[in-house]
Amino acid sequence: MSNQTAISKPDGFFLPKVRRGIQAAMLAVMGQWAFYGIFRCPFLVPFVNCQVCPIITCWGRITSYFWGFWLFLPLSVLFVGRAFCGWLCPGGFVNQMIGKLSFAKLRVRNRVLKFAPLGMGLGLLIVLALWFGLDNPRSMVPIRVGEFWGSLRLSFEHASPYWLVRTFVVLGLVAAGLFIANLWCRFACPTGGLLELFKGMALFRVFKTSACNDCDACLRRCEMGTRPDEVNCTNCGDCLKTCPVDAIKFGRKRKSDE
Amino acid sequence: MEPKKDGVKRRAFLKTAVASLAAAALAPGLLSAGRFQSDSLQVWSCGGLSEAFMEANGLYEQRNGVQINYTGAFAAALGKSLLGGAVTEVFAGRVLQLAQNLRTAGKMLYFRPLCFTEYVLITPLGNPAQIQTVQDMARPGVRVILPLGASPPGGDAVMGILKKAGVDQAVLKNTIEKESCVIKMMPQIISGEGAASIVERRLTRMDRFAGKVEVIPIPEALFPPGPLTFTIGVMKYAKDRALADDYVNFICSDEAQAIFDRHGFIPAASAKGRTLIEKLGVKDV
Repeated sequence: MSNQTAISKPDGFFLPKVRRGIQAAMLAVMGQWAFYGIFRCPFLVPFVNCQVCPIITCWGRITSYFWGFWLFLPLSVLFVGRAFCGWLCPGGFVNQMIGKLSFAKLRVRNRVLKFAPLGMGLGLLIVLALWFGLDNPRSMVPIRVGEFWGSLRLSFEHASPYWLVRTFVVLGLVAAGLFIANLWCRFACPTGGLLELFKGMALFRVFKTSACNDCDACLRRCEMGTRPDEVNCTNCGDCLKTCPVDAIKFGRKRKSDE
Repeated sequence: MEPKKDGVKRRAFLKTAVASLAAAALAPGLLSAGRFQSDSLQVWSCGGLSEAFMEANGLYEQRNGVQINYTGAFAAALGKSLLGGAVTEVFAGRVLQLAQNLRTAGKMLYFRPLCFTEYVLITPLGNPAQIQTVQDMARPGVRVILPLGASPPGGDAVMGILKKAGVDQAVLKNTIEKESCVIKMMPQIISGEGAASIVERRLTRMDRFAGKVEVIPIPEALFPPGPLTFTIGVMKYAKDRALADDYVNFICSDEAQAIFDRHGFIPAASAKGRTLIEKLGVKDV
């Protein structure tokens, strides 16, 4: 790695700040639904049965979020791949904030990290098995209406072991982000795994041109520990101004760019 | 041009608007001032009553300026918590025995009958399988979906009805799906995936399901008695006993009972409710 360059923070590059602002806004807009999905949703797989959910106060049911989300997500993949993860996902934002405190950023390339994203595929398989194979069973006494802390306490107090395992695994993996940055988003998130499968069809993307000299300056900037257009790239654009040879572009990738 | 006259009108309008806003903001507090020591009340109830309670609570809050901190969830779970260390001021639970246990444990000061539920057959609109009785669900080829995995009394009550009708095994053979949640099951009947099921009438009155299924009564003799009864009682933790009593009185009033009626329950105050009180022995003795 003799051709490594230091991570630079280019002056006047405001895109990461814009992204943070949008993420914070999305946390305000979608945060309640995300919170209910983790802590109040009585089904093993959250966010997929909102229209038939017994929880009265969840925004996934009483607003158009559910339909809006599941219609928007495929469209977003078609246009900008996994950009939802990098720009809009409230969970992604929380994970990235936790990641800032993490001991190991793991922004390197090695054999283990090459295969670790398969964990997203495993997560996706488990979710699909629960959803389609077992019809996504209700596994927690639904607190249909309730005060914030009281409902949380009652949810955990009266949940089935399956729901507790599901919830503690998710929370544990998010908390593990304190040790390995963005562990949930990089190696476990089923939604991320689903988007990863289809992001190849995206019309627009952040990509490397043939000018790339493998210096990995972009990798060391990336919160997802990857390089443009590779596994786990979310088109966040943070790396756009980091390349010493200006080999990172955004747009339609043409044959001449390869 | 009469600018002065216009100005007076505008000032009058602004004064009225400010006065109205101030009155609207202060009214709830003024309403409760002097009547009660507390300005909020914690109420827990069985989850099945949630829609009715939310409507009734809104009315009570509007009238009295008291905030109702309401939780609606599976009554047996709430009861278990209350018999443990959990605390609430008013509790409306399902199953008479639960209220009696709370009284015996000294956690509840008193209870009153609130309302009753009843079970009905539901089919898709048009009733394609021509279901008229519980026994019809046992006919060969009828696609039945039952909420057998639902939290008690959901599945147990349905099985109780089928057993009393003497068709439990035959209906189970016809059952194409055993749902874990009654609310999740309803769209499967609405869409025609299932030809019949048994639910509480309250399900058919929910906004999202009202008018979307055929509702056929089930003879009362088939109902398991346990889950039919809902009571409401004041807990020993009530910070303001006068407020808790007033709230319970309101919920048991004709006005609030009409709300429970609209949501598919039999009000305790109705003629049928009074009959059920006697029949099921819903008395705080």
